[in-house]
Amino acid sequence: MPKLPLDGIRVADFTWVWAGPYCTLQLAHMGADVVRIETRTRPCITRVIPPWPEGKPGGLNRSGYFNQYNQGKRSLSLNFKDPAAHEVALKLVAKSDVVVNNFAHGVMDKMGFGYEVLKKVKPDIIMITLSGYGDTGPYRDYIAYGPAQVPLSGLSALTGYKGWPPMHSGFSYADPNAGVHGAFALLAALFHRKKTGEGQYIDMSQWECAMGLLPEGILEYTFNGREPERIGNADPMMAPHGVFKCLDRPEKIMGLTVDQFVAIACNDDLDWSRLARAMGRAELVSDPKFATLQARKANEDELEALINAWTGTQRAADVADALQHAGVPAAVVADNKYLADEDPHLRERGYWVYKEHPEVGTRQHAGVPWKMSRTPTEVRAAAPLIGQHTDEVLIGLLGYTVEQVAALRAQGALE
Amino acid sequence: MAGALSTLKIIEVGEMVSAPYAAKLMADLGAEVIKVERPVVGDRARTRGPFPGDVPHPEKSGLFLYLNANKLGVTLDLAQPAGMELLEKLAADADVLIHNVAAADMDRIGFTFARMRKVNPRLVMTAITPYGLTGPRRDWRAEDLTLWCAGGICAINGGGMDHPEMPPLKTFGNQSGFQGGVHGAVATMGAVMAAMRDGEGQEVDVSILESLASQLELFFEYWPYMGLIATRLGRKPIQPLEAMQCKDGWIYLCCVEEHQWRGFVEVMGNPEWADEEIFNDRLKRADNWEALKIFLEEWVSQQTVLDLYRKVQAKRVPFAPVSTMGDLLNSEHLQARGFFVEIAHPVAGTFKYPGAPLKFGATPWEIRRPAPVLGQHNDEIYGQRLGLGAARLAEFKRTGVI
Repeated sequence: MPKLPLDGIRVADFTWVWAGPYCTLQLAHMGADVVRIETRTRPCITRVIPPWPEGKPGGLNRSGYFNQYNQGKRSLSLNFKDPAAHEVALKLVAKSDVVVNNFAHGVMDKMGFGYEVLKKVKPDIIMITLSGYGDTGPYRDYIAYGPAQVPLSGLSALTGYKGWPPMHSGFSYADPNAGVHGAFALLAALFHRKKTGEGQYIDMSQWECAMGLLPEGILEYTFNGREPERIGNADPMMAPHGVFKCLDRPEKIMGLTVDQFVAIACNDDLDWSRLARAMGRAELVSDPKFATLQARKANEDELEALINAWTGTQRAADVADALQHAGVPAAVVADNKYLADEDPHLRERGYWVYKEHPEVGTRQHAGVPWKMSRTPTEVRAAAPLIGQHTDEVLIGLLGYTVEQVAALRAQGALE
Repeated sequence: MAGALSTLKIIEVGEMVSAPYAAKLMADLGAEVIKVERPVVGDRARTRGPFPGDVPHPEKSGLFLYLNANKLGVTLDLAQPAGMELLEKLAADADVLIHNVAAADMDRIGFTFARMRKVNPRLVMTAITPYGLTGPRRDWRAEDLTLWCAGGICAINGGGMDHPEMPPLKTFGNQSGFQGGVHGAVATMGAVMAAMRDGEGQEVDVSILESLASQLELFFEYWPYMGLIATRLGRKPIQPLEAMQCKDGWIYLCCVEEHQWRGFVEVMGNPEWADEEIFNDRLKRADNWEALKIFLEEWVSQQTVLDLYRKVQAKRVPFAPVSTMGDLLNSEHLQARGFFVEIAHPVAGTFKYPGAPLKFGATPWEIRRPAPVLGQHNDEIYGQRLGLGAARLAEFKRTGVI
């Protein structure tokens, strides 16, 4: 069996919440030994918020949020109030190739883990800081939280129903976006180090990283001096292009009715004619109100009402299947239950991961979003319990004796 | 100083966003990227705009110009056998072939990894496709909207409790393509590292659907852990986490920790209502949001965005402006960091574009050339590099191979 792509690469992982853990997750998928440096006094926030197994909160090891984004990593738990803990972390850096953190600018310096310090213990170390605002500029000390980074990036001003206020993306999109771009940057730096022997420091602003995702909005302004209008789910060059109401889920979930929609995007007149025929409304294809893109855009409300009338009596999954069979881009507007239980494609691709976890049992988690034909990439283990690998890392990797570890634990340096 | 990837050679067969964005990330760090487009029409991104003066023109589409700076451009018809042979010649000398040709089209034109591997066993061939190269929906068609929905993201965004009649809402632009692109770039670089070690390439099959389903934050796990469906209709568990209107624009209020709420209350001048028991922790503020919102809206509507932003940030409260495009271009912070870059293009003209997503300490991110005009480097690549004579080139042009 060939080795994993990053076999032999070690990551000292100082990250928390989402952006940083999503970064190191990509490296863990490819075989890097990712060692989380954690503390019980200030545990990762995702260890202490829902979703909890069966809704029962408690402990530091049971949140589905943490257990999703830290699969395949190890956990070392230290108490930085004791100087010996600082020394343990530096020893880990000396045995690492990459150091990742997503604190605000300057926090690693204050903790005694600035790049200049780390370079002394590992001259070719590669270090990245995924901060909200970057290491330079007048706002570099500003605080950034995931939900606020989406509006800051400009995406909210561009996202929203026509005529409505700016809206959100629904999740802290700038976080995973920063994480995955950070993983790319680290791989590029590892490539450079392999060629030249040189490590380096990488400064990422999550804000800037997110602005790279909205060129159409930014260029509307730099080309034409205009703020783009919000247009909901519509597209200037495609119609119909939207989500359409289908039958509600047949079963109530926790006493609530759950509505369902199907997304349909007609790229051109051919797609539209296929849709109209699938609806049993072939006469609409040549109707002057709908025959061309221009006409369909001009009469889009009427067009959407016709489609809603057709989809409204059907199950979303049936509409999507029928339209794809007819060659029209369509998909169920998937919720988490659809993805987990009902999407046959993800199941058959082997996307889901089921690893035994000592406190939550075997749960369904999202896996690796790509497949490699020669070297495997995989989730190798469930997320670690806090401090699960403290002894293993100290003794097996850093060369401490059992007695030394016991002494460190007795003095409170390990948690 | 050369970029981190300056020794890497990449062939891109890409349309729209996903594969072109992956190749852009690498080109901006110094990789040589030869972009292959269909003869005559070129990449569909050339039709998408925005266009200077709103006049559509294949060399003036903002989306195309942004995604394809730093690349060399050739045209090639892969549906013709002679076209596929030329692609083999290009791939023979490359480290990476990255593409987003649909699985059904790969079958139809015989564009397979087995074939490319024969001419270059070290080649990493990355396919970034909507659903991946295997599975019952591999041939399903997709657009940005249908993927953002299929990946589970649309369902958690929309009118919310106040407006359950409003449907799920997609995020602006072509986010599915961008996420497929960056996840594809990560996987590709992993395979490149393995090829350097082992002397052998491989095929990388990136699913955009899976790239999106990987990003559902805590929302996905609500089903496997708690049997709860996460929808746009859910109530926020803590407040304030909302955009609100100031005198001159919108600001996003964000108080997650108690000290952040207290900092905001101080900035508001410690109004009496803030002492009410119904507002005294973040869960109660969510439970009583309807009442709280009225007090906050009244005060916030009297403020200006930048002034409030600076005042609360001075107390470590993570508010942020709801930036307009103008706000971004005029931001003192982004200007100090030199984020936006000017690119001069021979046909489109000179404009500012989004710049480096990351700053490398030792190796540059840089724009070395504007996006290619259609077929700009045909003579250079096919003539000089592959050694095709003038007669062959003329023949290929006549038959529409290039």
